Amino acid sequence: MPAATASERRRTRALLLLSALATAAGLAGCATTAPTAVKVTSPGFGDNATGVVQFWDRSTTSPFGKLIVDRFNATHKNLKVVLTPVQDTQYVTKLATAIRAGDPPDLVGIDDINSQLFIYHNVFTDLTPLVNALPEKDTLSPGALNLTTENGHYYGTPYVADMSVLWYNKTLFRRAGLNPDKPPASYAQILSDARKINALGHGIYGFSFAGRCEGCLGFTILPDIWATHEDLLNGQPGHETAFIEGNVPLRQTLTLYRQLWADGLADPISQVETGATWGLNFLAGKIGMMPLGYGPMATAPPSFRDQVGMTLFPAPSGGATATFDGGANFGIPTGAANPSGAWEFIKFALQQAQQSLAPSAGFEPVRNDVLTPQFRAKYPFVAAMLENLSRGHAPKTIVYNTTFNQPGGPWLNMFTEAVFGGNVAAAIRTGQGAFSTAIDLGKS
Amino acid sequence: MSQQTIARQRAAVRAVGARPARRRRTGIVRLPKAGMLFVAPAFLFVAVFVLFPLGFAIYMSVTNWPLIGSYHFTGASNYAALGKDPGFIHSVLFTLLYTGIVTIPILVVGYGLAVLVRSNRRGSVFLRTAFFLPYVVGLPTLELQPNSGAVNFVLAKLGLTNGATAWLVNTNLALAATCILVIWFASGFTMVLLLGGMQSISEDLYESADVAGARWWQKELHITLPLLRPTIALSLIISIIGSFLAFNQFFILTQGGPGTSTFTVVMWIYQTAFVQLHVGAAAAMSVVLVAVVGLISAVQFLLLRNNT
Repeated sequence: MPAATASERRRTRALLLLSALATAAGLAGCATTAPTAVKVTSPGFGDNATGVVQFWDRSTTSPFGKLIVDRFNATHKNLKVVLTPVQDTQYVTKLATAIRAGDPPDLVGIDDINSQLFIYHNVFTDLTPLVNALPEKDTLSPGALNLTTENGHYYGTPYVADMSVLWYNKTLFRRAGLNPDKPPASYAQILSDARKINALGHGIYGFSFAGRCEGCLGFTILPDIWATHEDLLNGQPGHETAFIEGNVPLRQTLTLYRQLWADGLADPISQVETGATWGLNFLAGKIGMMPLGYGPMATAPPSFRDQVGMTLFPAPSGGATATFDGGANFGIPTGAANPSGAWEFIKFALQQAQQSLAPSAGFEPVRNDVLTPQFRAKYPFVAAMLENLSRGHAPKTIVYNTTFNQPGGPWLNMFTEAVFGGNVAAAIRTGQGAFSTAIDLGKS
Repeated sequence: MSQQTIARQRAAVRAVGARPARRRRTGIVRLPKAGMLFVAPAFLFVAVFVLFPLGFAIYMSVTNWPLIGSYHFTGASNYAALGKDPGFIHSVLFTLLYTGIVTIPILVVGYGLAVLVRSNRRGSVFLRTAFFLPYVVGLPTLELQPNSGAVNFVLAKLGLTNGATAWLVNTNLALAATCILVIWFASGFTMVLLLGGMQSISEDLYESADVAGARWWQKELHITLPLLRPTIALSLIISIIGSFLAFNQFFILTQGGPGTSTFTVVMWIYQTAFVQLHVGAAAAMSVVLVAVVGLISAVQFLLLRNNT
């Protein structure tokens, strides 16, 4: 091959230099640069804002989001909110990617259990003076508000509540010879009641659950364990450890569900229910007891609602109950283009008039001063849930998404092996390691 | 090259204002700048959408790049960790198993469909469209969930099941169901590739074979298959690369379940990057995957070149 001439060498050097410069520029452009901090105390912040607010809501809670966004846009000429529903299982990923790309939404309605993950990484705006100035601050859900705090600062507010309860069909209870005003208060009673209801036959089952929906299972099973003041995750955010082996309430709970399944007391669809049709069999009047949120009841005809009752989740041996203090929290990502508009919308959404719309969309308000006589008469179940807000709990952790809310994650794997595989002990042993691995990955 | 040709070339280059190509003593002709300008847009496209992202992925793979937060250099630790990641190892083995199961059936079924529709008989055009339609429509409509999706609906209507078959509660059942759907889905594309190859074979060869009294299977074995070898090789390359990069079929149909038993390599990379938020580690896996797929493609191209 002939030797390169001087001009060819110069051209090659020029091309290499250009490539190196382009790469360096690209890498520099892709590197993380901290967005400018928002001055939430600047005069006029959150009042008479203009422009557009990009609001990412969970797909689950977006029916409520749409109600208040439509109301807001109808009453605010100069500020418009654009709602984008984001699928629950992809919310953390999409939000993290948007923040990394420097193009976050102005406002997020994030699963309250995932708030801490973003607060821990300093990507939510500190709203402390604004939250402290809210007239309704003392009426807000303490559990949800706690999930927005770090070191005494508030990085968000509650948005909408979604609490889990054990629903039961009073008509089937009567037909099975059970007292319709005495819902089960222990695991022994759940099993006993389920057997009697199952005996009715004709496609009627004593129990049902969403066995392939990791989020649904966490939402409806963890409260049983919390009622005993135990948990599967211990430690402060960023320092979590797994408590699976030796967790007696966990073993008792998995054993209960195994027995319900193995003895044929649960609807067969429980094994494959992904949450897409969750609750439909209960609404069809075929199930005696089913753990669920309020959502399906919101769409049930009044004649059916009159036939059902609800109770919080009992501890295995009874004597205590608990519920999952779920739902969504607001947060304003750092780098939001219109944080003032976002805060104006948050104040609007937290007003009584808007929070009172939550039950019509299948959720509960985050403030307890909506419990007027009219509200209680119209939404008796929601009123009962709000009265039990003090028994609600949601773990403050940065690893809930990686441990509980992923298909193929340690929570669903452990549940599947224990309940459908039939080996509770082995599932718990494997679960300890799998949870620890997932926690380490989520913290690093 | 004749003197007249050189003179015409110089005149043409002068006409577009470029410097004429200079013949060097060794006889090599340098490309004019005009040619470089013409390929510049394509080069820019490849540089921006292929070379730069690849380079950036390599850069990320030597850091602990998280999806949220700052990062620092970690050297080759992400690569060293691959051999100790049971999830990654399982996904590699599962991907190899899946590739081994579907590759030959896709080729055989695609070949059979191409034979069926290669003549221009009445109905051939309709059949070609019908066989290619699954590839166009895609997998999301197929869904394997009980009481939803086309699969259970069709089986229930045919009276074969009650529409609530739990395909995804068992790994082998989930894999079998997914493989059958993928073979059905991908054969249409293979059919189109092979059909193109078949139609480029001269009819004279078949006529000569007819005159010699050859039967259809003899024509197939001794005429079609040998002349179709490059197209078959191309179909195999595309099919194998596609199987190595399998994502949608398992993300949509099984979500990697039951548990993590049907996680493919690309699904594991997605899980690592976007669920566990470890983009650096996922980048390392991606670089290894690119190298492996590139190596396989190179070997296949080499074999193809040797056989033509």
